[in-house]
Formats: sequence, C-alpha cells, structure tokens
Amino acid sequence: MVLTLALAAGAASARPAADPGVTGSEIVIGGTIPLSGIAQSYASVGRGAEAYFKHVNARGGVFGRRITYKYLDDQYNPAQTVQATRQLVQQERVFAIFNTLGTEQNLAVRSFLNAAKVPQLFAGSGATTFGRDYRRYPYTIGFLPSYVGEGKVYARHILRSKPNAKIAVLHQNDDYGRDLLSGFRAGLGAKRRNIVATQSYDPLSTDVSSQVARLRSSRATVFMVIATPPFAIRGLVAANRLGWRPQVYVNQVGAATNIMRIIAATANPRTIQNAITLISVKDPTSPRFRNDAGMRLYRQIMRQQLPGGHVDDGFHVYSMAVAHTFVEALRKAGRNPTRASLLRAVASLNIRNNPFLLPGVHVRTSARDRFPLDQGQLQRWRNNTWNPLGKVISARP
Amino acid sequence: MLATRTAIRVLGFALFVAVVVLLPSRLSDFRASEFALIGIYFIAILGLNVLTGYTGVISLGHGAFMAVGAYTTAILMLGRPGLEAGGLSPPGWLPVGDGMKDVYTIPIAALVAAFAGALFGLPALRLSGPYLALATFGVAVATPSVIRKFDTVTGGSGGLNLFDSPNLTGAIFNAVHVPGGRTLTFNDWLYYLTWGVALGLFVVAWGIHHSRLGRSLRAIRDNEIAAVASGVGLAWHKTLAFSLSALYAGAAGSLLAISAFSVQPGAFPLDRSIALLVGLAVGGLGSLAPLVAGAAFLVFLPQWAQEISQAPGVPGVIYGAVLIALMIVLPTGVGGLLRRVLGPLTSRLYPRSQ
Repeated sequence: MVLTLALAAGAASARPAADPGVTGSEIVIGGTIPLSGIAQSYASVGRGAEAYFKHVNARGGVFGRRITYKYLDDQYNPAQTVQATRQLVQQERVFAIFNTLGTEQNLAVRSFLNAAKVPQLFAGSGATTFGRDYRRYPYTIGFLPSYVGEGKVYARHILRSKPNAKIAVLHQNDDYGRDLLSGFRAGLGAKRRNIVATQSYDPLSTDVSSQVARLRSSRATVFMVIATPPFAIRGLVAANRLGWRPQVYVNQVGAATNIMRIIAATANPRTIQNAITLISVKDPTSPRFRNDAGMRLYRQIMRQQLPGGHVDDGFHVYSMAVAHTFVEALRKAGRNPTRASLLRAVASLNIRNNPFLLPGVHVRTSARDRFPLDQGQLQRWRNNTWNPLGKVISARP
Repeated sequence: MLATRTAIRVLGFALFVAVVVLLPSRLSDFRASEFALIGIYFIAILGLNVLTGYTGVISLGHGAFMAVGAYTTAILMLGRPGLEAGGLSPPGWLPVGDGMKDVYTIPIAALVAAFAGALFGLPALRLSGPYLALATFGVAVATPSVIRKFDTVTGGSGGLNLFDSPNLTGAIFNAVHVPGGRTLTFNDWLYYLTWGVALGLFVVAWGIHHSRLGRSLRAIRDNEIAAVASGVGLAWHKTLAFSLSALYAGAAGSLLAISAFSVQPGAFPLDRSIALLVGLAVGGLGSLAPLVAGAAFLVFLPQWAQEISQAPGVPGVIYGAVLIALMIVLPTGVGGLLRRVLGPLTSRLYPRSQ
C-alpha cells in the first residue's frame, strides 16, 4: 500500500508557472469526451476535432503555434468530468476547455471554470442556458443550436403547413427533452392546445412502445419525436407496428441519416416518409455534397489524419465544424492570444465560410448573442435521404 | 505475546497515518485531489467489505447508497433557500434546513444512508446468494431514474450545483483556514477531509473485524446453519451488516459530492456499483488496509489505460485484460498477497499457537 502511494507520488509532475497553455510554439487546450461506457459513440466528437487541428498544424498552425487538444474520457459521468477537468486545468494547465460533451457534464464544471477564469468554449450541448446565462457565466459559451430554438422551428412549420393538426409528442424525461418541448410549446403559441397527447420516457429505460401506443390512441396526425437515436428508432418502429402513419418530426439529435436508414430498414419505409428535421451541419452521406469543396476537405482530413475513422459518421463533420470555429476564434484573438482576447474573439464571431456547415449557415456571435450556431435548414426524408426543404432559417430561442 | 501482535498493528497503523499526513507535501496540488478520490473509494470499499468480505453477501448496488449520501449532503448544504434559488420547490414537509456547512452534513449523510440500507436490508434479506445480488443490482439500475423522478428536490438530470454555495468550505483557488493557523489549498483540504474520515472509519472497521460482531458476520459467511446453531441471529446481523455497509457508502457519497462540488444522477450509474466490487476484489475480500490498493486501482488504472491508447475500445480492453491478469496472479487480491508475504515474517515474532 505504501508502495502504491509512493509510486504514484513519484509520477506527480511539477507545475509550470508561465501563462497557462500558450508557449511560443504551442497552444494546449483540453476537454472531456466519453471514450468508453454508454455514450462512447460520441467519441467521434473528440477524434474529428483532433483530426482537424492536426490538419491545421500540418499547415503551420495558428500564428506559428500548433494546437494540442487533450481530450480525456469521462465515461459520460459528470463526477468524472469534474475530476478530468480539474486535471486539465490544474495539472495540464490548458489555455481553455473546449468541446466538452454533454449537458450535465458541462453544467458540472461551469461554476468551477468561471471561478478559475478558464474559458469553457463551445460546450457540446444545446441546453439554452449555455447561450442565455452569459452574464452570470461569462467564460462559458455553447455551440449546438439551442433546443428551445429548434422546438420553435418545428412548431412554426406545423403552424404553416398543418395549423389544425392534432399533435402527439414523445420526449426524453430530462432537461434536454423538456427544453425542446418548452420551445415547441412556445412556438405553437395559442395553438398549443393542439397537442393532444404527451408521453415521456426515462433515458435509462429500454422500451417506449407503451408510450407510443398511448400517443397513437390520441388519434394525432402529427408525431413530434424528441428523442436520442436509440429511442427515436424504437419509437418510430413501434409506431409502424401499430399501423400509425402520422406526419413525423424528428429532432436533430435523433435524425442522423444512418439512424433514419435503420428505421427505414427495420420498419416500413413509409413510416418516416416525408419526416421532417432541422439540420445545420453537412451530411457526409448525402449525394448533394459529393462534389462539395467543404466535404472534399472533410474526406481528405479523414483520410490523412484519421485513417480508419468512419467517414459516414456525422459526428466527425460536427466536430470539425466546432474545431474550425475555434481556429477562427484563435486567429481573431491575435498574435499573442490571452484568455481575455480569446473570449473577446469568441463573442464577436462572424464566420461565413465554415466548410462543414450547410451553405448559408453562418457562425455569428456578439456581446449579447451567445448562440454561435443559430441557423439551420429544414429537411424532408425522401428517397432514403434528407432533402432540403426551403431556405436556411433562424433557430434562435 | 498478544502484546507483540498488538504492537505490530499499532506500529503499522501509525505508519499508515504518517504516510497519509505527510503525502500531500510530496504531491502536486492536483494529485492531492486524486488521492482524495482514492480516500473516497477506500471508504466505500471498506463498507462493502463489511457486507461482502465478512458476511458473504454480494451487493451490486452500493452506488445507490453513495447516491443517498451525496444527495443528502447536497440538499442539506443548499437548504431551502439554496434549492429555491435554483428554481426548485422542495416539498414543505421535507426537513432540508436552511443550509449547513459541508463538513457537518457528512455524518448526517452517513446515517441517512445507513437508514436506507436497513430499510432495503429488511425485505431483501429474505433472498439469498445470487437472488439478493440481483435485487441489489435492481437498486443500482433504478437509482438514476429515481433521482430524476424527484426533481423538485434533486434538480432532475441537471443535478445540484454546490460550487457557488457559501457552505462549501473554500472555493477552488481560495485557501482554506484550518485550526492551528495553517492554510490549505482546496485540493489539500479535500485530501485531509477525506482521509480524516477514512482513517476514522478504518478504525471502526478494524474494531468490527476484531469484535464479537465481526466474528458473528464471518460465521454467517462461512456457514449460515452453523452460525444460527451457535446463537447468531441471522436477520438481525445481516440487516446490521447492510446498514453499516450503507453508512460507509453514504459517507463516501457525501465526500464525493463535496469533492465534485455537484451531484447529478449520471454520477451514480451501474458502473459505479460494479467498480466498488472490483476494487474490493483487487484489494482482497476480508482485508482492511490493503483495500487502499483496490481504491488506487479504480482511480489510476483507467487513466493509465487511456495514456497507452485512446483508440476506440482500447482503454476498455486494457482495463479488462489487466483485471483478468490480476485475478489470475492474485486470486485473493493484494490483501492475500500481503498475508502470504508478510505472514511468515511477522509470525516469527510470536508463537503459532497464538
């Protein structure tokens, strides 16, 4: 026992005293990503960003400095996020926390990072609080379109296309699900009474078929699915089994092309025919982007920096969109970036050429607008793929 | 001769305390927080040892009792004003108080968890062996959902944030003033708090080990029928073991909440309960001090696995492979190894008949 303690003590490293994370040749940032455990499919969100930074480094970095991105596994457990973030801040002395994934996970370290005056950039969560509460937490900013804004977009589309349709909602019973549902309700306004049935599921449950059966008995003709991939699949497969054919709306987190194809293959493809979702990031499987310059760059980076990575995995594209935004912010922060100059840059972004976002989707922030990605384009599911429906629209909460 | 044996034990414990006290001066600030985490796991494993090591009852649900401790501490620290400021509305009958200093919540959290352990123990102990293990497994599976269900007081999936609470002793970068005019960094403070509690509970566990109660529990483990025939009350002893064990888990959960300055349902997944059992097996069932090795294993092995490679699946495979190898080489854990190595040495000091 003494030996164990002594060995581990020997491994403790000395603390450098200089400006944290920035040297003449390097900028060190870090974050947590679930690399193992229940949510390990999100690991691509770390690896894709790392691949993009390697690509930038191979081209000289930012003002001659290479970006080193240390991402640690938190197994999607917020208590481990706290410990890993403490390690990144207090031991690795990172310049900023970047791309940490998950709502609970980012909430768990937000107060700590703001007290430590470490930027918490582009949190991987659509919870509205990350964009809304910047006065209290000035070091924190999110990235994903807010769930409230997304809910409003679906509501507005329903008001326009089927103003009197009866609506059934299935939602995850946590902050994410309720956040999106509240936006959806707010977007419907007086028509919220058209929601004739609402059912929720626990994120640790395994089945939603009884909820779907109850929703079906409401005779709704619109089905709003606010669910993560496994539950979106189960919910829509259950709807098909019951012979229910409503107009389906699926939220962005559950609407990746590969997920939709699983549903189409498992259930009757007609179940999700004409389903609608909101998307901001380019879809790597879409034939539309086969010759798109941005997606060519994406495939090149995947080939060179992440061989063996799954090119069709949309999380890789998302993570490169985040990494691109960080690099642009860092450029804007000047030749000798400080945490303060980085934060100023992050709060004044206007990126119109992010190659990984849909054409027309811009990354914009200001002192009072802390939602970097607040646009998207509705998509309709036809011919086994998402097809754009109308123009790029605002998804502000 | 008995005196020699006691002297060795006292000496060993004094050495243990000395290492614990002096270690932070040799550690970086961050490492101290890691060793605090080891202390937290050590407490939980000590508790699980009372149940599994002595009594032979396997629990796959101790993460649930940690959650009880953690939430008790968090809710008491925030109190009604803190919870309401966070947009929650705890039911009026619930005695959540007006906010309590973190240190004072630890014994309360331990007692609440012990009560929960007794409540669960009473009906569950009608089951035996794998059936009981399965029942505890069910508790572990249900824990996060139950916490989410009572969101008016637990904060639902977002959990409760303690960092901004005035009842958290010292924020991260502020020095903590301790009696004697010294100041500590937050991480060193966490370390001493955790290990202070751990050493206290260690002495209690040692007391249980060498008392009539400990002998009764071991008798139950070895042969229930023989134990009953010797006058050991089965239901009472098992419930007591469950309760004591939950008390330790509650104290560990309470310290975890303080150390992570927050609680969320996601912090108490099924893995947490299974990890405790792994730590106990690595430390050695029925051992005491060697359980520290099990706790260190839980903290450091996943990190080392990650440092070797972050490729998909690799850290998990390394973790599993090391665990299997360790169980083949040390089937009785580190405690068993120490007994085999040190036993022949120390037994020379007193006759075998002892």
